[in-house]
Amino acid sequence: MDLRLDADDLNTCVQCGLCLPHCPTYRVTGDETMSPRGRIKLMREVQDNDAPVTDEVLDAFATCVQCRGCEPACPSGVPYGHLMEQTRETLTEAGRMTPRWQRLAMKPLAHPTLLGLGTSALGVAQRLRLVPARLGLSASIPVRREPLEATGTDVYLFTGCVMDTMQRDVHRAGLEVLTAAGFGVTPTGELAPCCGALHTHAGLVGDARRLASAMIDALDPDMPVIVDSAGCGAAMKDYGHLLGTESAERFSQRVLDIHEFLADHLAQLPRVEPLPLRVAVQDPCHLRHVQRVHLATRTVLAPFVSELLELDDDGLCCGAGGAYSILEPELAGSIRDRKLAAIDRAAPDVVASANPGCSMHLGSAGVPTTHPMELIHRALSR
Amino acid sequence: MLEKLRNLRRSEPQTTGDPFVDALRAALGPDQVRYDGAHRSLLSHDASVFDGGNSGPVCYPTSTADVQTIVRLANDHGRNVVPRGAGTGLAGGAIPLGLPVVVAVTRMDRILEVDPVNRVAWVEPGVVNLDLTRHLTPMGFHFAPDPSSQQVCTIAGNVANNSGGPHCLAYGVTNAHVVALEVVLPSGDVAMLGGLEPEPQGLDLRGAFVGSEGTLGVITKVAVRITRNRPAVRTLLLSFGSVRDAANTVSDVIAAGIVPAAMEVMDQPITRAVENYVGAGYPLDAAAVLLAEVDGLAAGVDIDADRIGEIGRANNATDVRLAGSETERALLWKGRKTAFGAIAQIAPDYYLHDTVVPRSALADVLTEIYAIADRHDVLVMNVFHAGDGNLHPLLIFDGREEGMMERVHAAGAEIITASLDAGGVLSGEHGIGVEKQQFMERMFTDDDLDHQNRLRQAFDPGCRTNPGKVIPSGHSCADIQALRSIPREVWV
Repeated sequence: MDLRLDADDLNTCVQCGLCLPHCPTYRVTGDETMSPRGRIKLMREVQDNDAPVTDEVLDAFATCVQCRGCEPACPSGVPYGHLMEQTRETLTEAGRMTPRWQRLAMKPLAHPTLLGLGTSALGVAQRLRLVPARLGLSASIPVRREPLEATGTDVYLFTGCVMDTMQRDVHRAGLEVLTAAGFGVTPTGELAPCCGALHTHAGLVGDARRLASAMIDALDPDMPVIVDSAGCGAAMKDYGHLLGTESAERFSQRVLDIHEFLADHLAQLPRVEPLPLRVAVQDPCHLRHVQRVHLATRTVLAPFVSELLELDDDGLCCGAGGAYSILEPELAGSIRDRKLAAIDRAAPDVVASANPGCSMHLGSAGVPTTHPMELIHRALSR
Repeated sequence: MLEKLRNLRRSEPQTTGDPFVDALRAALGPDQVRYDGAHRSLLSHDASVFDGGNSGPVCYPTSTADVQTIVRLANDHGRNVVPRGAGTGLAGGAIPLGLPVVVAVTRMDRILEVDPVNRVAWVEPGVVNLDLTRHLTPMGFHFAPDPSSQQVCTIAGNVANNSGGPHCLAYGVTNAHVVALEVVLPSGDVAMLGGLEPEPQGLDLRGAFVGSEGTLGVITKVAVRITRNRPAVRTLLLSFGSVRDAANTVSDVIAAGIVPAAMEVMDQPITRAVENYVGAGYPLDAAAVLLAEVDGLAAGVDIDADRIGEIGRANNATDVRLAGSETERALLWKGRKTAFGAIAQIAPDYYLHDTVVPRSALADVLTEIYAIADRHDVLVMNVFHAGDGNLHPLLIFDGREEGMMERVHAAGAEIITASLDAGGVLSGEHGIGVEKQQFMERMFTDDDLDHQNRLRQAFDPGCRTNPGKVIPSGHSCADIQALRSIPREVWV
C-alpha cells in the first residue's frame, strides 16, 4: 500500500536504534514494534514491500504518542513526526484508522459554543459523580467561565478549544502577565476556535487544514500570535508545512510560545519577591522536542519562584499526548508512572507544565500541577 | 467498553497451528509471546546490514523462571533459541536463523542491588548501559564500558559481545567489569558463573561466557564491577592537517607512557556530519580531529593534558583546545558517540567495520583503507578508538544503487584482509556474528576452530542456542546452510 511517504524521508533512517530509549512506548514495553525504529521499518515494509496492513501494524502506528522525543535523539534527522502524520492521514482516509466515533468526537472542537456547553455539562455531571475517574479528566471541570477582556492590540493570545473551556484561568494569567510586561493583548476567542493539532494527530488532516486556513484569514497579519499551550504552538508553527503556502509560512513565523516571547522581554516585568516554592519544570514534548524552546520556560520562571528543579528523565513524555491518554489509557498510565517516579525523586512543591494535556494527565494522578504563567501571575499579584 | 473493544481487536487467535507457540502462550502471560508478522519481521533484524534473518515466536520474559520455561519448551519441541537485547549489534549476532524463538530481555530491566563498598551491582540483563551509570552517578560511581550505543544497548548485550567503548582504553573492556553471571544454560538449568569472592574456584567459565555472542546460553542476571568517578577530567580536542598526523600522535602519546582515559579520532567527512547534528564546535576544516581525555587527580591530569598537547604539536597539530566546561565536554562526546547514526545526512546506508591493528601500524592501514574504498568507488569515513588501535571504517552508500552491495562487501573484505596482514585481528568489539564468520579461517587454524566449537558444545551439546553464528561452516556444530536456506516467510 502506498502510504504516500516521501522516499528520501523514509531512507533517512539507518536503523541504528539510538531513538529507542527516547520513545515512551518502547521504554515501558521493551517492544520493538512500539519503537520509532520499528514503526519506520513497518512503514517501509508496507510502502516498499507491499506488506499487508494487519491489526498489529495498525496497533504499532496507533500506539505512538507522537511526542517526537525521537527527533532530537536522531543524529540523521529523520522527520519522524511528519512520517507518522502522513501515515495516519493515508490510513484514516482508507478507513483503517480513527473510527467514526473518534471523528465525531472531534467535531465540537471547532465550535466554541457547543464545546463550552458540553464542557459545562461534563462539569455538572462530574459534580454529580457521573464521570468515571479512569477517563483521567482534571479534578474539577469548570461549569462557568468568565470571559477574557482584551487589553490592547500589540499581540494575540491564542485561546483555542479544550484549554479555553477547561483552563481559561491559565489564559487569564498569561494575558495579565503579558499586559504587565507592557503589551496590549487580544485573546483570539472565536476568531480562531481550534488549531487542529488533535485532528492532525488523528490523521484528519483535511479538517486541520481547514482550521489552519480559517485562522490565518481571521487574524491580523501584522500581530504576533502568542500561544500558552505547547501542543497548539507546535501545530501552528507547522502551518507552513501543513498548508504548503507562503502565507502559512509567514503566519508560522509569527507564532511564538509565551515563554519564548517573554524571555526576550523579561526586563519589562516588575521585580517582585519570588514565591517560596520549589518548582519542578516538566517540559511538554511539543515544547522541548518540536518547538525546542523549553529553556525559555526556565528563564522566565526563575525570577518568580525560590527554586527550579530539573527532572532526571531526559525529557521523556508523560503519556498525555493530546487525546492519547483517553485512547490508550493503559500505555498512557505506564508512561505516566515513569514520570511520577522522576517527579518523586525531584520532590518539588509543585510541577509547572506549559501544556494543558500534560497538566490534566499529571493532575489526575494527584500531582499538584500548574502552568508557569499561573505562578508568575501569582507572584506578580501578591 | 472502549478498552474491551480494543482488547478484542488485539487478541490473537487461540491456536496458531504451531504447537510450540501454543505451549509458550499457555506457559507465559498473553502479552509475553508474540507471533504476528509485524513482530517477526522487525525482530529478524538488528542494526547491521544483514538480511536473511527469520524469527519464530518472540518472547518477552520478566524473570529467570520465564527464561527457563522458554528454553525447556524449545528443547521439548526441538527448536532453537536466540537471545536479544536492544538490537543495536552491528555484526548480525542477534539475527535469528532457522525460525528460532527470540528471547528479548528488554523487560528484565531492574537494577537489583548496588553495593558501593564492594563496588558491585547486580542487574537484570535488559538494563540499559547508560541507565546504570545514571543510577550510579549520585553515589559517585559509573559502569566503565561505554560503547557508542550506550544510551540504548543492554548490559547483557555488552556481556555477550564483550563490548568496548572509548573509555575502555584505560579501564578495560566489559570482561574486566563482569564479576558473576547467572545464566540459563541450553539444558534449561540455571548456573552461576564466577562469583563475588575475590578468586572464585575452578575454571573461569564466566570468562568463557563473556563474548560468546549468545551461543552458550541466556544471561538472566549480571554482577558488574562499578568504577569510582575520578575527581578531575580534562578533555582535549586536537585538529590535524592529515589523518596520519593524528594517528601518529596517538601512537606517540602511548609510547610516552601516558594512558589517557580515551583517545578517539574522526576524519573530516564524519566530523562535518557530526558537527551538523551536535554543534559542539568541532572544526570543519581539519582533515582529522583527535578527542583525548585524561582523568585522575587534578594535578596529574593537567600535566598529562599539557604533554598530550605538546605531542600533538610535535605532530603538526593545527589547533589544541581544552574543553572549558562540562557542557562543552558532554557535547563533544555526544558528537563522537552519535557519529555512526549521523551518516544518513550523507547516504541512506552504512556498513560499520570493526578491526584492530597494532597502534604503530595505524597510519599505514588507514592510508590503505582510503585506497581500497577509492578502488571500489565507495565512500569511506573513519572514526575510531585510536588508543587501542580499534578501527571503525564506515562505508557509506545507497543500497538501492545497482551493484552497490557487491562493491561494499568487496571493499569490506579487503579492509579486513589489510588489517589482518598488518598483524591485526578481526573484531575489536562488535563481535563475529554472521558478519565475519567467513574470515575466521584466515585468523585461526582448523584446530583452533574445532576447539572453539567443542567448548561451545560443552555448554550447548544440541547446538540450539544462537546457532549458525561465530564459528564458520565446516567447524560449527550447526548446519549453517540449512539454517539459512529456510525461505523468508511471507509476512503473515
